[in-house]
Amino acid sequence: MSGSLDRTQLDDLRQSCVECGLCLPNCATYLATGNEAQSPRGRLLLLGEVLDGRTDASEPSVRETFDQCLGCLACTATCPSGVSADLLAYVRRLAADADPNRRPPVRLLDRRAVLRTLRVVGSLVRGAAVRLLGAGWRGRLERTPGAGRRLARLLGTLPVDPGSDDALIAQFETLDGGGPRPAVSSHHRAPAAGLRVAVFKGCADASLMPHTSRRLQDLLRRLGCELTVPEGQDCCGALASHLESRGRTSRLRRRNRRAFTPHLGHCDHVVVAAAGCGQELKSQPGDLSDMVIDAVSLLERLAPVDLGPVPLRVAVHDPCHARHGLGVVEAPRRLLARIPGVVVLEPAEAEVCCGSAGVYGVQHPEMSAVMGRRKAEALAATGCDAVVTTNPGCLGQIADGLALVAPHIPILPLTDLVWYAARASGPRKEMS
Amino acid sequence: MSTPDLIRDLRRAAGRSSVLDDAAACSVYARDASHLEHGRPACVVLPETVECLRQVVELCACHGRPFVVRGGGTGLSGGALPVDGAVVIGTSRLLRLGPVDVERSRVHAEPGVINDAVTRHALPHGLHFAPDPSSQSAATVGGNVAENAGGPHCLKVGVTAQHVRRLDWIDARGRAWTTGRGAAFERGVDLRGLLCGSEGTLGVVTGAELLLQPVPEATVTLLAVFPSLADATRAVVDLMTSGLVPEACEIVDRVMLGAVEAAFGFGFPTDVDAVMICEMAGSVGAAGEDAARAEAVLRAAGARDVNAAADEDERSRLWMCRKKAFGAVGRLAPAYISMDVVVPLGSLTTLVEDIQTIKTEHRVEVATAFHAGDGNLHPGVHYDDRDQDLTARAHRAADAIVMRALELKGSCTGEHGVGLEKRHLIHHQLDATSLQLMRGVKTVFDPHGLCNPDKLLPASDVTAASPVPVPDRPDFRWKSLTVTAPAATPLAVLQAEALTRGLWIPVGAASRIRAAGPGLGGSVTVGDLVDAGTVGPSLLGSTSVGDALLELWAETGDGRIFHAGAPVLKNVAGYDLVRLISGSGGILARPLAATWQLKPAPGCVACWTWSDVPPTLSGESRRDFLRVLRRHGQPAAAVRERASAGPVLWVLAAGRDRAWDLDRLGDDLTAWSEDHGLRRPSMQRQSGSDLANPSSLAGLPGWACGSPDWTLLTRREGHPDWPRPRRLIWQNRPDLLWTPEVIPEEPVGWFADTVFADGRLQSLPRPPAGVPVELLVGLKRLFDPDDRLPVPEWLAAAREGGTW
Repeated sequence: MSGSLDRTQLDDLRQSCVECGLCLPNCATYLATGNEAQSPRGRLLLLGEVLDGRTDASEPSVRETFDQCLGCLACTATCPSGVSADLLAYVRRLAADADPNRRPPVRLLDRRAVLRTLRVVGSLVRGAAVRLLGAGWRGRLERTPGAGRRLARLLGTLPVDPGSDDALIAQFETLDGGGPRPAVSSHHRAPAAGLRVAVFKGCADASLMPHTSRRLQDLLRRLGCELTVPEGQDCCGALASHLESRGRTSRLRRRNRRAFTPHLGHCDHVVVAAAGCGQELKSQPGDLSDMVIDAVSLLERLAPVDLGPVPLRVAVHDPCHARHGLGVVEAPRRLLARIPGVVVLEPAEAEVCCGSAGVYGVQHPEMSAVMGRRKAEALAATGCDAVVTTNPGCLGQIADGLALVAPHIPILPLTDLVWYAARASGPRKEMS
Repeated sequence: MSTPDLIRDLRRAAGRSSVLDDAAACSVYARDASHLEHGRPACVVLPETVECLRQVVELCACHGRPFVVRGGGTGLSGGALPVDGAVVIGTSRLLRLGPVDVERSRVHAEPGVINDAVTRHALPHGLHFAPDPSSQSAATVGGNVAENAGGPHCLKVGVTAQHVRRLDWIDARGRAWTTGRGAAFERGVDLRGLLCGSEGTLGVVTGAELLLQPVPEATVTLLAVFPSLADATRAVVDLMTSGLVPEACEIVDRVMLGAVEAAFGFGFPTDVDAVMICEMAGSVGAAGEDAARAEAVLRAAGARDVNAAADEDERSRLWMCRKKAFGAVGRLAPAYISMDVVVPLGSLTTLVEDIQTIKTEHRVEVATAFHAGDGNLHPGVHYDDRDQDLTARAHRAADAIVMRALELKGSCTGEHGVGLEKRHLIHHQLDATSLQLMRGVKTVFDPHGLCNPDKLLPASDVTAASPVPVPDRPDFRWKSLTVTAPAATPLAVLQAEALTRGLWIPVGAASRIRAAGPGLGGSVTVGDLVDAGTVGPSLLGSTSVGDALLELWAETGDGRIFHAGAPVLKNVAGYDLVRLISGSGGILARPLAATWQLKPAPGCVACWTWSDVPPTLSGESRRDFLRVLRRHGQPAAAVRERASAGPVLWVLAAGRDRAWDLDRLGDDLTAWSEDHGLRRPSMQRQSGSDLANPSSLAGLPGWACGSPDWTLLTRREGHPDWPRPRRLIWQNRPDLLWTPEVIPEEPVGWFADTVFADGRLQSLPRPPAGVPVELLVGLKRLFDPDDRLPVPEWLAAAREGGTW
């Protein structure tokens, strides 16, 4: 791990960068600022200077540069010379070490109770805002000066919850016209013969989008999976890791290992809904990581060929964790291709981070807002009816951007769309 | 003035957040992709508008502070590195990309727009931007123009200079100019051509109107495997001289293959010495047939295996591997010198073999991936820069490779530019006079030396290369696809000789019509062509004679003889004096000899004639017509307006040695006529070999007229030999077809003038308002201080009155 890199390893890793600059257009901070110091190549050049003693990591501009790295891995994904992600993790750690004061205010964010509260507040605030100011509420608040604008951003990034089944169905029906669906209940593909799946709930998922989490479980059961939800599981540790909170990260990892180890012997997969959790679990050594599969890939393997029609043009946003971390790019598209009527649209700059990146949005609200808006613009430019993604962080971040640039376009969890399509393929009551 | 004052003024002009003087930015902007270090900037400015950029340049001029413009920082020659205390101007916030003008195949881009983004923007319209340097996913339009960037797909359609139709730029004093009218033909002192590839030392590019190319209907990408690198290079020569014109022809050697395979796992064989990627494009049938012919040529030349990419996905992965090859070198060693020497095609094998010797001699490793089709090699000497001895040997080996290329009449740089990297080598390539003229050009544009100093030109105390003797007789180098000839050689003589080998100088046939109209007819000489700078419709898709003109010997007004360019297909060593002189109407220098590129001559030529077209075509029929032309590789079209009857429309096309290519165009044109209620066109067709004997082209009015002297847009009403044409509109590109609104009423433009009349070259027209005349005056003084060459009236007036 990056924490244990010694000087020789660092030097070797640093030498792997040939300074070609091909990473620049993939880096969200470079795109947002146009400043090359805020690019992967810039950071590694500065790291070199720090290591050579030519500058110091606590020099404010250098620390800021390091600190602004999202850790999204978009640079390493495009790097032809194979620069390791560990190097950028090291850069972020340098920034954290140079400024130990920055962590406490956001530390609470990986507590479930806090997230749950934020979800409730988010739903209430959005509801109230829409009632008071109409669909363009976010844009109207954005135009207010100073504090109003900051408040709007704060409210805008509160977690998004797609809500109960009825609310979700109503939302989809507004989108796709909601006409009567042909009943195609007659032949479901034989359910996968008793695939045993342990569910990793993830705090973000379970606390932020409980309905979505449950719907995914419904869907998996319906497709023939036998589900277990191991007791005693906790947050995956990704947020703590983003916060460079090493102690807490390893505590959480231990706790999850304890919870899952007894189940690993008699299950085929550990399914994870949020891409962020998936990558965190995958990155840990041990049996658990080998069994982890992201929900979309699992659904793609299991989903019946006769998903019901949903006439909808959707733009897909790949979370960095999925695209660059796990390399899950094709699975969501293949899954969506099974839903008749769904047209998948690819946005420009698909490989660029939306600016959510764990707790980044809270740590760097202004930079993150610029990125969210840019991402929303790219997604809206596809001319889609809705955006789908697979990470709760991206969901909130892009929802805020869309509320600004295209309030008519909702963003929804991809698994909810599949759930809706599966529902549309069978008798209505079976699923709801 | 002090740095704090400068920064205060810059912040006032550009805004606080756009001026960075912190430690991080100053360190990062002191480096780029070249692994070189030069100086540390005083600050970095990231202007958000072109006007803001202009003010920044003006402030630098006021403060006497050097400045350098930087795009994506992907340059390999250190061209964007600052001197100590300079202002770095980043274009990363100048990202506006205009709407695609489909009919004219143009798009306007600000300098920070990424090369790749232009193509992505144009693709939905079936168009793309041809220059595709390997760094295209990060390199910017501004940088591409400054370096005159190339790339694999420039083999057929030329490098950036051929794709920039209009240039917005700011001079060293901070004044904004627009050079070029964006028309198909321009004549005059080609500042646009001079600025392309000037590495930001003459001015700052702030926008470019780019020419887009149609996306071919079909593309076949071949991957040929060769047991030895020398066989592969010989195969390139065979392929290029076989009459085929590939879109791209690349070679990757064994060492590079290993790195690429490690990086991307494409599935290249790693036990072979070289693979060649060769791409043929055109209509569905043509691409397939050409690919089959190419495969036969490659197999005959020793290819072990030739396969076509199965689908678009495989093709794009193949190109991704090729384009990211140099980044993958990072897997072999932490540092590399990425070179870009060019040699005449015929010397390619020799240089490749010599590189192996140099490599052994200096005990270094070389990985190579290169644009074989135009003789542009990219030997990458890679090394561990922590080992000082190895680093020194690597640099010596790199210099030895350059010197060898120069001995073979090549150039030290074909794509990356001189920059800092080759400043110590460039004087081995340029003779004393051309070096003196280049220094003079720099002084005319940037008298105080503020604009990107320490680049492109060598230090003042170097000894220049000895002069290259002026050739006294025509010399065809068939394997290199070039011909060198003295200025007095008639074009017709060269064309006739070249046509015996199925080749020609792609500037049109010598005309028979000396007596019949305004023109020089069969007596057009090489020198006339250089002076005139215009071409016939047969140079399909080209801008000017400069595109096919590779090398020039000329004499300045005061009798200094200089040699510019090199007999190679790509060359960005120093300022492009060849483009500057060609088309300048003889006011700067008298051409003595020139080297031209030879291309496969048409196998057959045809002309379709409509004599009843309406005076203007409706939007839809015009759009459809242009679409047909785009689909068929942009054949030339012309409209002749007549006083007594409706206009005549011609489409002139050159085909390969197969009739069906032109038949398909004919079918499409007939279908277009029927769709839009026009009578079917009449069609004449003749063999390409008839081009050698212009009088035999009588049946092809378009082609007979299609010689250099007819590329004029004439308004010569009342000429006795001329059937009263009111306007003759050529278009090699769909620029001018039925767009009378772009033709000025006064024949003042660089395109709407009479070039030749009554057997004589006409005086150079007055340049349009966007051209800084004082720079032209300065250039005239530099090249012809005593006015021994023609002085156009407007120039004399400008000199005397200070206005014109």
